[in-house]
Amino acid sequence: MYSDLLHALPDVFSLANFAAVVIGVISGIVVGAMPGLSATMAISVLVPFTFGLEPLVALGLMAGIYNGAMYGGAIPAVLLRIPGTPAAVATTFDGYPMAQKGEGGFALQVAVVSSAFGGIASAFALMLLAPPLSKVTLLFGPSEVFWVAIFGLASIIFLLGGNPVKGLISACFGVFVSVVGSDPIYGNDRFTFGQLEMLDGINIVILLVGLYALPPVIDLLETPLKTSGVQSSKLGTEPIWKALPRMKTYWTTWLRGSFIGIWIGILPGAGGSMAAFMSYNEARRTSKTPETWGEGEPEGVAAAEVANNADTASALIPALTLGIPGTAVAAVMLGGLLVHGLQPGPMLFRDNPDIVFGFMWQFLFGAILLIILGGSLATNSFARLLNLPRPLLGSVIIVLMLIGVYSIHGRMFDVYLMLGFGAVGWVMDRLKFPLPPVVLGLILGGFAEENLRLALRIGRGDPMVLFQNTTSLILVALTVAVIVGPSLKKRFIDKKKVDDDAAG
Amino acid sequence: MLNIVKKTALAGALILSAGAALAQYPEKPIEVIVGYSAGGGTDVMARTAAPFIEKYLGEGASLVVKNMPGASGQIGVTEAANADPDGYTLGTFNLPGMMARTIDREADYDRDSFTYLANVVNDPNVIVTSKKSGLDTLDKLIAEATENPLAITVGMSSLGGDDHFALIKLQNATETEFTIVPFKGSAPARTALLGGHVAMGILNISEVAEFQDQLNVLGVATNERSEFAPDLPTFKEQGLDLVNGSMRGFIAPAGLPEDVQGKLIDAFTQMANDQEFLDAMAATANPVEVVTGEEFKALTSDLYDLAKDVWDTTPWN
Repeated sequence: MYSDLLHALPDVFSLANFAAVVIGVISGIVVGAMPGLSATMAISVLVPFTFGLEPLVALGLMAGIYNGAMYGGAIPAVLLRIPGTPAAVATTFDGYPMAQKGEGGFALQVAVVSSAFGGIASAFALMLLAPPLSKVTLLFGPSEVFWVAIFGLASIIFLLGGNPVKGLISACFGVFVSVVGSDPIYGNDRFTFGQLEMLDGINIVILLVGLYALPPVIDLLETPLKTSGVQSSKLGTEPIWKALPRMKTYWTTWLRGSFIGIWIGILPGAGGSMAAFMSYNEARRTSKTPETWGEGEPEGVAAAEVANNADTASALIPALTLGIPGTAVAAVMLGGLLVHGLQPGPMLFRDNPDIVFGFMWQFLFGAILLIILGGSLATNSFARLLNLPRPLLGSVIIVLMLIGVYSIHGRMFDVYLMLGFGAVGWVMDRLKFPLPPVVLGLILGGFAEENLRLALRIGRGDPMVLFQNTTSLILVALTVAVIVGPSLKKRFIDKKKVDDDAAG
Repeated sequence: MLNIVKKTALAGALILSAGAALAQYPEKPIEVIVGYSAGGGTDVMARTAAPFIEKYLGEGASLVVKNMPGASGQIGVTEAANADPDGYTLGTFNLPGMMARTIDREADYDRDSFTYLANVVNDPNVIVTSKKSGLDTLDKLIAEATENPLAITVGMSSLGGDDHFALIKLQNATETEFTIVPFKGSAPARTALLGGHVAMGILNISEVAEFQDQLNVLGVATNERSEFAPDLPTFKEQGLDLVNGSMRGFIAPAGLPEDVQGKLIDAFTQMANDQEFLDAMAATANPVEVVTGEEFKALTSDLYDLAKDVWDTTPWN
């Protein structure tokens, strides 16, 4: 089972494949460092350009960007108290106070080492868990896949945080988009308005580019040319090898944060920001000096950054084994695999072991490279990126988006479609509707519909077929837990508070 | 003003290209429209065949494969049907799918829209059952289907495709009824068979060649045994008259000049006997069965009639 893993290693070290990871990590850090630009957005803009590349080059770029962006988000979080990516919000709590005290450099060094630690742990989790899981996925027939999709939709709506009603509306929009195109069973046209281009449904990459890239680009264009810059004085410029000994007490935080991040990554729906918050809270709760947290405690930066990188590779475990992505980034990466004719699922491990295991190695090396590229070489230069005029960046990205989307099928129709989704995305963004449920609604909605109908055909119309085996029942129980859990917890905590007040 | 310049230029170009058609064909690159994305079975066939067609057309001919995926190949084949019939646009053609699309939905082409060049691949259907089903011979399968109509679930890649027609032929020949479970493509259908979620499947031989240990392969729908699985008996050997498969070939728009048509068909005929080509196709698990010109046209017509019959009695949507 694991021999394929070693067999894939030499390919990863070929010049082009390795260079792809290096370039990916660097551009990931840049993207992450720019407030508003996220890993999801960078990868979705990139996917159309990878058609012509070798699969491992394309995947290496994605793995690098994902790892890089999760750290890059810490740079403005520490220096400007603006999280570069949503996952870096928890990093601002202690990172920014550290920068105020003149320890910004050390904060970034803690962030980079923690990020790398989380990424490495996550890559190992992917390598160890995915191959055996790919063997049991044959157990997942249509009714089980239907429940996985429903579970994923429920968790993205109820666990994402924020307002579940807005989440539900976003998800419904995504599910609606999934209905466009040929009916999966009979092939009747639905909502295509006679357009041949719509018969295959809405390509996920088009939706992603519109939804994730256009709103931040509009924000970038709106920013004044000169924004608050960064002075070098905020960075302590100590070489990283001198800083490392100061971090040796963070081991438990790193291990705990990695575990949390990996677990959150595997669960569909949640993601980096939730992992970072949970890890931060847990670390503070168990700390001997909780009073220093929020005042510039380096361990707080470590806790947040280790967790938001630990969910990167593990988010791909359900995506690669079942073909069901649990997060928006995993969905984009699956899109990247499909572009190269690689169908995720158990057959991927059998038919293309070198690519799928090579991809896992690339995640590992991406995480390791983070220390070298992000830490010792370039923290200073990356920090200066924040002085770039934002509108300039926005106009470059918009050109890339247009070319990329056009190149998918070579038709303008897709470009208009993307701009349309961009407009919807911008409005949703302004009204604070979450975007990830739209993406997962499109993907999981399609899965749910198709597999529900297949399952019902297998059961010859009897809905009990959906509850006939253990795997299905477990998934049903999990779904119920996800839906009822948060409100029960809230009620319980509120009650306890009232009791405490009464006692006091 | 600019318009006039454009028009003159266009007219000039037209005269030039008309002149070109009179001279030796081909004078410029030939575009081959593939209705599926790069890497799929049809695309692999087109790209494998292209250098051999170039070789047999001679005179520095060059073929450029252009992928226009979408709507189960309908977008690409429509484009090819409506292109100028000058021999510089060819297309790939899938049977029975391309004919079935003219029946189950409105299509901007019909069987007379094409000049039929050559069918190249004939990937025969096989019937497989999951190990879990215990139906490891054709007799057992038919006995069970006769006893319990609709009890056997059949996984296949889609409705209105070759798998579906094979099942209809089976049902008619044995007077049985099965429950159809149309997956989205053959890979998920095969995965469901491996996991035992459906009892039986109709697939193509190239799709199960590597899975003969994990599935019961009951027979192949050909006249003679397939070279991909020489130990696998045909249905005819087992007393069931069932011949069916998925076919892929090349067409051009209707109304191709006769000399151009002749040259192209010649090239395909020569390619069919080229051992190097046959080896290249075998390496990509594509069973070759070349049928050219009129014969190809007749084959298409037969399949259309079959599909129309099926549609009239049991429409699939």
